[in-house]
Amino acid sequence: MNAPWLRSGRVIAGAVLLLAVAVCAVAAPALAPHDPGDQDLLNILLPPSWMNGGDPSYPLGTDSLGRCVESRLLFGARTALEVAFFSALGAGLVGTILAHVAGYFGGAVDWVIGRAVDIWMSFPPVVLSLILMVGLGTGTDKVILAIILVDWTRFCRVLRSEVITVTRRDYVSAARLLGYSHWQTVTREILPATRPLLITLVSLEMGIAVVVEAILSFVGLGVGANQPAWGQMIADARQNVATSPLGLVLPMLAIFLCVAGFNLLGDGLRRALDSRQTAVRSA
Amino acid sequence: MLRTALLLILRRLPVAMPILLLVSFLLFAALRVLPIDAAAMSLPPTATLAEIAQKRHDMGLDQPIPAQYVIWLGDALHGHFGQSIALRRDAGALLANGLPTTIELAISAMIVASVLGVGGGLLLFASRGTWGEAAGDLLSTLLMSVPDFMWALLLLLVFGVMVPILPFMGRLDAGLTRPSVTGFLMVDAALTLQPAVLWSVIRHMVLPAVALGLAFAPPIARVLRSSLLDVYHDDYIRQARLRGVGETRILLCHALKNASLPTLTLMGVQFGFLFGGTLLIEVIYGYPGIGNLMVDAVRNADLPVIQAVGMSYCVVVIGISMATDAAHQLLDPRSHAR
Repeated sequence: MNAPWLRSGRVIAGAVLLLAVAVCAVAAPALAPHDPGDQDLLNILLPPSWMNGGDPSYPLGTDSLGRCVESRLLFGARTALEVAFFSALGAGLVGTILAHVAGYFGGAVDWVIGRAVDIWMSFPPVVLSLILMVGLGTGTDKVILAIILVDWTRFCRVLRSEVITVTRRDYVSAARLLGYSHWQTVTREILPATRPLLITLVSLEMGIAVVVEAILSFVGLGVGANQPAWGQMIADARQNVATSPLGLVLPMLAIFLCVAGFNLLGDGLRRALDSRQTAVRSA
Repeated sequence: MLRTALLLILRRLPVAMPILLLVSFLLFAALRVLPIDAAAMSLPPTATLAEIAQKRHDMGLDQPIPAQYVIWLGDALHGHFGQSIALRRDAGALLANGLPTTIELAISAMIVASVLGVGGGLLLFASRGTWGEAAGDLLSTLLMSVPDFMWALLLLLVFGVMVPILPFMGRLDAGLTRPSVTGFLMVDAALTLQPAVLWSVIRHMVLPAVALGLAFAPPIARVLRSSLLDVYHDDYIRQARLRGVGETRILLCHALKNASLPTLTLMGVQFGFLFGGTLLIEVIYGYPGIGNLMVDAVRNADLPVIQAVGMSYCVVVIGISMATDAAHQLLDPRSHAR
């Protein structure tokens, strides 16, 4: 046992990246030189402090409203991680429950849940989340809800087939014969077997959630204008891309590092936890 | 071959139609539940409450949602999707304008993704067992962390602003008149023999298509690599090798054909996602497709347009998945038996 995932380079690299983002998010009020919403209209679109015309009090320059880019990046990490955590948790919970119900009981229940997934999947995720945001309105909680409502299918589809495979194993029948209730069988026998896949999916979903939040904020239907978000910074910087390209590059870099962290972690966990793949590789 | 393909697609219609109907009803109901008064929005702000009530009655908004849905469905089947509230134009006409543009973009992007994905997959496979394998693996994970809209912005920054060699706004240079035969601008330019227009259309297409293609290539490369690895375990590869067939020939003539099936299935799924991905790419490059139409409609709460555009996304995605299923069955001799 001895946690094979601890020896995976990817897991470590992903964890380090995410830890860095998390530190930025938690310590944002202490690290940020300014309030992320403060506008300094006399100093708009300043370059970073090391460049010609830069101001030392704005280390990474200012945006089109004279807001401090560094402070907004740091506070944007809060938004990104909050959305990533809660929406992956929510989507994972909904998807996992439905996947286990469908895969374990089969029959009509499975059919209904399967068709629901089909219907959901016939919408491109971006389109569906946009439509949902029309109804929900802007706000961090609305973004989280929209991502949960769109992305539960990712969990349900993948986990369902895994649950079906596990349910057919002998030890599950044995548990039933021993008099386990359905609830006990699923929680004690099946869930432990599907957990590695679930953990991987949650990690990948967090990366997806960061991207979706950025997309929604970019279009202006995200967390709302008062909360700093990387997508908003991109939308703002895009207007002035010719004069201050760094304003566009920095939030994109932040999104990339955050998503790469979740992807490396998820990928590493998948390789380390998937016994089949380990067997193939060592063969 | 073509007949079999058509038959296979037709056989899927009975499954697809109910899903489409249900999707359209859910979308319709969801949009009607929203606290948006379409009647008040389509009248000037000076309208009295009585006028609004009259308008509601005229628009049929005072009827129950299922009754409204039946009216909408009847109209939609005749090609009438209602009047855009914000643009005061027929939603169907707006859709007919934008859809060919988006389809052209999606197909171009899919070609880019396939070429890059298959090339990358072959490279990944060829480098198995060397240091290149780990490097390629890591690179593909990192590339997958760059979503399509970030590729679009990066390419715009590099090739549009820093080294301005490609246009990044709209789909045609100013001053050129757009030919209209089929609605597909690239096809029309070729049909009407206007090389200047065609060249301009292609140049405007490069950045959006490459941006989308880059985002969807890494998963294709990965699946191709892993199915090639699977195929190489099969006996017929060893057999071919014993017969003295060269490695390159084994890869390209024997293995690739069999490994292409899972890759093709994935590409079908990816194409559905890619079609949704056009939305942001269109916004970023000011591309006049249904993505921009959708975003504007969402911002203006323009319900008829949201409904029409939302449905057309669904129709395309379901159509693609039907075609993928059919192609899979056509290419896999083992599934003929069923």
